[in-house]
Amino acid sequence: MQPHLKRAFTLLALVIIVFIIVRSILVPASFGQYGWYRGDSVSELRSLPINYSGSTSCGEEGCHKIIYDVWVKDRHKTVNCETCHGPAEKHTLNARETLTPADDSREYCGKCHFKRLARPENFPQIDPETHGQELRCVYCHNPHKPWFI
Amino acid sequence: MDITRRDFTKIGCKVIIGTVAGATVIESMISNNVAAQNPPAQEGYDWEKHFWGYVVDTRKCIGCGRCANACKLENKVPFDEEVYRTWVERYRVKKTTAQTREEEVVIDSPNGGIDGFEDNIPAEELKKAFYVPKICNHCDNAPCVQVCPVGATYETKDGVVLIDFKYCIGCRYCIQGCPYGARYFNTEKGTADKCTWCYHRITKGLLPACVQACPTGARKFGDLNDENSEVKKIIDVERINLLKPDLGTKPKVYYVGLDREVK
Amino acid sequence: MLENLIWGYVYPNESEIQWSILIVLYPYITGLVAGAFIASSLYHVFGNKELKPVARFALLTALSFLCVAMLPLLVHLGRPERGIEIMFTPHITSAMSGFGYIFSFYLIIVLLEIWLSFREDIVKTALSSHGWKELLYSSLALFSFDISEKALHDDEKFAKKLAIIGIPSAAFLHGYVGFIFGGIKANPWWSTPLMPIIFLMSAIVSGIALLILLYIIAMKFRKHVIDHKCVQSLAHYLWIFLILDVTLELLEIISMKYASREDIDIINRLLADKIGFTFWGVQLFMGVFIPFVLLLLVSLMKKRENLKLGMISLSSVLIIIGVFAMRWNVVIGGQEISKSLVGTLTYVPVFFSQEGVLPAIIICILPLIILRVVTAILPPWKDMEE
Repeated sequence: MQPHLKRAFTLLALVIIVFIIVRSILVPASFGQYGWYRGDSVSELRSLPINYSGSTSCGEEGCHKIIYDVWVKDRHKTVNCETCHGPAEKHTLNARETLTPADDSREYCGKCHFKRLARPENFPQIDPETHGQELRCVYCHNPHKPWFI
Repeated sequence: MDITRRDFTKIGCKVIIGTVAGATVIESMISNNVAAQNPPAQEGYDWEKHFWGYVVDTRKCIGCGRCANACKLENKVPFDEEVYRTWVERYRVKKTTAQTREEEVVIDSPNGGIDGFEDNIPAEELKKAFYVPKICNHCDNAPCVQVCPVGATYETKDGVVLIDFKYCIGCRYCIQGCPYGARYFNTEKGTADKCTWCYHRITKGLLPACVQACPTGARKFGDLNDENSEVKKIIDVERINLLKPDLGTKPKVYYVGLDREVK
Repeated sequence: MLENLIWGYVYPNESEIQWSILIVLYPYITGLVAGAFIASSLYHVFGNKELKPVARFALLTALSFLCVAMLPLLVHLGRPERGIEIMFTPHITSAMSGFGYIFSFYLIIVLLEIWLSFREDIVKTALSSHGWKELLYSSLALFSFDISEKALHDDEKFAKKLAIIGIPSAAFLHGYVGFIFGGIKANPWWSTPLMPIIFLMSAIVSGIALLILLYIIAMKFRKHVIDHKCVQSLAHYLWIFLILDVTLELLEIISMKYASREDIDIINRLLADKIGFTFWGVQLFMGVFIPFVLLLLVSLMKKRENLKLGMISLSSVLIIIGVFAMRWNVVIGGQEISKSLVGTLTYVPVFFSQEGVLPAIIICILPLIILRVVTAILPPWKDMEE
């Protein structure tokens, strides 16, 4: 082969070798561990911070057990505490981290309970125009024990 | 043997370069295999033992939007941008007029359903109306995983499709590839983003934020490997359907009561 | 304002269009590269002697545009600093992962081709100059100055082999881009097996048209006579590839309408409304029909060289615009329909934005500047002035 071609190919080979060396340094070690992705990413995603605790941790002994016992026996037991009271993980870890008070306006209850045509018929809904004289719902209904009839 | 300094240098250089190159190539091939033999400690959670599944019962959804709201709070998804990891759609089928046999369906999802839905079509004009919660389907044959050019998104052994935010280059090919519109571009991270089924929660025995927030039980989550889980029982007994099954993505969100109009 | 941009129902995450005008530019530029290279190969491989004047010029054009090809992608990436991952860990199930290695391989081929075809000139210049010019040309020659008959003959043989590998590489360089779109089953406007070959045909067409225009402009600048036989030969190839291109594009539309699947309603709306003007008006009428008629007349006419030159130039300009419209219609058109199949969005290009019209214009002008510099270092003019 002509000398100039040999030089060209040597140059190319050098470039490729440098590339391989750089690649082995820069590609993270855990890449390819479980599949074509960076294995460390799995544990990173598992360790993200949690913001919602769940109602059972609200009803712990020494915390809000009394209201929990009322709530868990009535219709709103399917409504998570934090849906109205906001994410509470920080509060369960440190009770001094208080939450903003729950929104007890008519509009907030209406998010679920105002009559909407797309809602299933058997779901408890009221016509906002005629029911409740524009008062806040909590005036008559206890949010933790709503079905007093 | 008589060799000149020039020849010695030439041979010497070739030997050094060859050794370095060869060693590097071999080492890079070995180190990955060693890692695969010894996976790091799972910290009490064994992903080989679970296979997660999701059930949506559209007959129960009331369109309150608490699920989409809780998701944004749990996962720090911006409220002021039109990006959603999960959302609720409303379908309203209008009565057919005398002129046409074609069905007219009005579909909307204002702010993903987070602020609820307004009724602006009177009841007399509607035949059918219902809500459909939507979420990433964590497909078993995910088109988004297939098209990622660098390996930044993957399906875990327990069936959850995740994004590696430290590796994604932000080309947005996965967003184009998802038939369900589940992915979005996160401008803050500069990468693609989507629902993770709250992987950080489910691997600790908690429920995803949307499932926990749902007040009517329209969203259910569980382990398909567990015979007694609610989701397994529903899938085995009820009439269920998938979104766009003809595309072959093998989604793992199973719908009960999925109307033909649902897109 | 927002209400007019959206019709029907689009998924909440689709409110912003993700692939902008820069992504329209990338297939356009690689198309020009592939087309210019194929034009050069018509001489180097298929021995079309009439194209000798532009053969080396075509290679330089291909190189200039190739240098710029990566730019629109880098500007678009959310994390451009991680772009090299596509070379480190390409995920081979993805069409896009081919970018790194296909691009590099093709770049090496083009560089070798140029080097081999210009080597004689490089060495002669190196031997007859001094100072930094001597250093520049000597390093380009890799400090090897053999230009004997045997060396040049071996070079030519090797260059021909390279050109033969080069043609499928050029096809791959642009075909894989077509496959990036064609493989997306989620999008009915993109999903078709014809996409790679449609892209390739329109690429060749745009490359030849560009070459014609650049040749005419270069000859005007250098105040030299235009080789009409060369231009007419190029125009002839242009016409043939144009027919192939439009046949495939129409075949795709006709197949969709014939099969009439679930997506036909939104496709009809796309073609009638969203990209109606850019598809029927610009891509097909201006970009195919008028050039087709003009080039047909050119091949039938006798003498009237200057008139024919004017018609060929006009056809080339129209084709260049038409092929850009085709890329626009595929990339933007495909995103203007929602995956819900019952809604459309609108792409509004912004001028002063990172992914806006201004960067696009700059990226289009850059290769012309690069070409000017490259032709100063490696002048191909003696091919044209023989």
